[in-house]
Amino acid sequence: MGTINSAFSLISGALDADQSALSIVANNVANANTPGYTTETPNWQENSPVEINGVSYGDGVTETGATSRRDSVLEERLDQQQQLASASSVRLTALDNVQALFTPDSGSSSSTAGDIGSDITSFFNSFASLEANPTDNSLREEVLSSATTLAGDISNAAASLNSQSSGLGQEAAGVTSQVNSLTGAIAQLNQQIQSTSPDADAGTLEDQRDEDVSQLSQLIGINQISTGNNGLALTTTSGQLLVSEGSSFQLTSGSVDGATHFFVGNTDITSQLASGGGELGGYLTARNQDIPSALSSLDQLAYSISTNVNALNNGGTDLDGVSGTAASPLNIFSQPAAVAGSATSMSVVMTDPNQIAAAGLGQGTGDNSNAVAMANLANEPLLQPIATTSFSMTQNLSSATPLNGTTSGSVQIYDSLGKSYNATVTYTNEGANTWGYSISVPDTLTADTSVANQVSYSFGPGETVDPGTNLTITGSTGGGTATIVAPVVVTDEAVGSAGPPATGYVAALDAQLTAAGIIGVTVTNTGGVLTISGATATAGNVIADPVAANATGTLTFNGNGALISPAANLSGITFSGLSDGAAALNLDWGLYAANGAANITQAATPSAQSAQSQNGSAGVNNGETPTDFYSDFVSTLGATVSGVQAENTAQNASVTQLQTQNNALSSVNLNDEAAAMSTLQSSYQAASQVFTMLNTIMASALNLGEQTTVS
Amino acid sequence: MQESEERQEHPELRELVVEASRALARLDAERLEELALSCQALTQDLARADAVERALLGRQARESVGDIAIFARVLEATRANLNVMNRLRDLRAGRLEYGEPQGRGWTRTESGHGDN
Repeated sequence: MGTINSAFSLISGALDADQSALSIVANNVANANTPGYTTETPNWQENSPVEINGVSYGDGVTETGATSRRDSVLEERLDQQQQLASASSVRLTALDNVQALFTPDSGSSSSTAGDIGSDITSFFNSFASLEANPTDNSLREEVLSSATTLAGDISNAAASLNSQSSGLGQEAAGVTSQVNSLTGAIAQLNQQIQSTSPDADAGTLEDQRDEDVSQLSQLIGINQISTGNNGLALTTTSGQLLVSEGSSFQLTSGSVDGATHFFVGNTDITSQLASGGGELGGYLTARNQDIPSALSSLDQLAYSISTNVNALNNGGTDLDGVSGTAASPLNIFSQPAAVAGSATSMSVVMTDPNQIAAAGLGQGTGDNSNAVAMANLANEPLLQPIATTSFSMTQNLSSATPLNGTTSGSVQIYDSLGKSYNATVTYTNEGANTWGYSISVPDTLTADTSVANQVSYSFGPGETVDPGTNLTITGSTGGGTATIVAPVVVTDEAVGSAGPPATGYVAALDAQLTAAGIIGVTVTNTGGVLTISGATATAGNVIADPVAANATGTLTFNGNGALISPAANLSGITFSGLSDGAAALNLDWGLYAANGAANITQAATPSAQSAQSQNGSAGVNNGETPTDFYSDFVSTLGATVSGVQAENTAQNASVTQLQTQNNALSSVNLNDEAAAMSTLQSSYQAASQVFTMLNTIMASALNLGEQTTVS
Repeated sequence: MQESEERQEHPELRELVVEASRALARLDAERLEELALSCQALTQDLARADAVERALLGRQARESVGDIAIFARVLEATRANLNVMNRLRDLRAGRLEYGEPQGRGWTRTESGHGDN
């Protein structure tokens, strides 16, 4: 039962609460300059209702302690924006360093990496000069000199990029100790908060924890999860636990394949951190994405220039009347085995300017047709081949095929230099629902006819003459001429092996020439080069079989014609010793489609090959000339820098705005939340108006500007 | 010298855009309203511009494209921040009317009866 005293009590309680509030205000003033200190506001807790004469009245409020005016949602938003802003700041710095490599210094046309664009022009111009006087030694020296400058600038740029990449890895590793220090501190604060204030605001302890989380946000992308008893768990943005209750989990770094990787326990979280934000995310995005992208472009440029120039030089005649062969190539640049790493390893290997093949194949040394072709490379899209690594074909093998009968299917594939091959699979019915398969990649050799009355074919190491060879040789019989068709079946000779064999293809050719009464024609095999000299004419192709591995086996079908063995796609099918010097073809045969259905089946009714696919190409550099490709690369890099710059400006602006809001809400000042919100809203509205008008002005001005230009 | 004076009188479009981004970052509503007025004046000038002035403004517009993109991103970030703040306000309003005091954050400051 309430009395009049209860009413007094109600009033005095309110006064007491006011007095407590005054104490808290005093505390705020005393801590006004403490970093991260959050204004505490009194908690006004409703008391039990008071009944007076049967009527229930509110019992006023009692001050129950201070709660910091922090707002976890706003602070988390601020932390997230800080993570993004830090990441883009660090990435921007790294990108500026990358861009500086390719941007000429003020007042100069040369950048840290030289001037690759001009180098390309100078190099191809040196061939244009050589056209006029293809035997001039100084012009030949100029070709090698400009090639050396170009290769040096590209390889230096690649080396600088690799160095920047290592540097970013080290910078990122340096961040881990700061991260560990902060997560350790947060875990300790968790313990203190949970033991002292499990059900209430922990005041300065929470301020310290918020401050540590804010600092951590600048270093690494994190998610915050409130846990029981006022605890806080932290994970990376991908969910890897960093802090749980009173425990923290150390971030460590180590080298994997020469690059710095990051771990929590044994889990490699490098790629997760790269996309997570914070300084660490910025470092890793620059290292794992931006620098590899720039390196890849340089690699493509180096690879395409090196392989195209080398191929042309090998296809011409040098000042000594020599043409390049697989065994003795006339390469100007070091021949890259693959696109990756081409920029770093780009160098000039030719030392004798006489080896520049200005003349065309079979032409005199004063000819300039090959120099013209090499100069024209400046204006042509350069080959950028992609080697085939997998192929498939869809085919029904007829169960009606006689025992040991064969059928076949083929797919056009490409080697690393863009040369195409017809990969053929020959299936032989071995009965009992089994078929033998044999995959071949016949290599058509290019004839070298640079020496009069002589034709040579260069075999790759280990290549053997293919039964499909249809070479014909015509020679004198003394009183007339006779023609032989070269033998298509070869016994045991590997023509590609060094030295004249006692038996095999050369011996078989000699025997046929003798039988036909042809005199004065000699056939030799020296160092893998088959040379036929003294013939009046030759026609047709010499076809070679590269060395094959895992190219034969057996397919087994069940009674319904479904493929049961092999149960998966075949890998490790390799063809090496290609005559153009390309890297070995490493192929996977896709026996099964993505949905698991077999591509090869056995059916009663024969069916032709109905589909084929492979993933290689003879492709080009986006159809661009070398200069355009390089300009495009530099422009793309500039656009990336500009985009990150815009992102960084916007994120920093967002952080500034949020800090303003957070200060109004949380720090010790006199602004109230409503005023802060009002400022935010009115600023947004005014900015929207400005933006709308700017858009209109831009559209009109650009349009008017164009019209003015046209008129 | 004359050109420099002219520029002071009619600042480059690009400067205006950059200033708008800066003002929005620091939530300077008054400055933004001034800039809105400048834009309004610029629109009127544009209608009366002769060929030379149009060409000049066309050049300035082309040079400002990157800064306009930045301004657009700042505006977008501001809208996101405004959304966050509006949600917070709604959240607090909801707690004041219906919620129980939380261990962390805001607590109601008056009696549920409203008669104290």
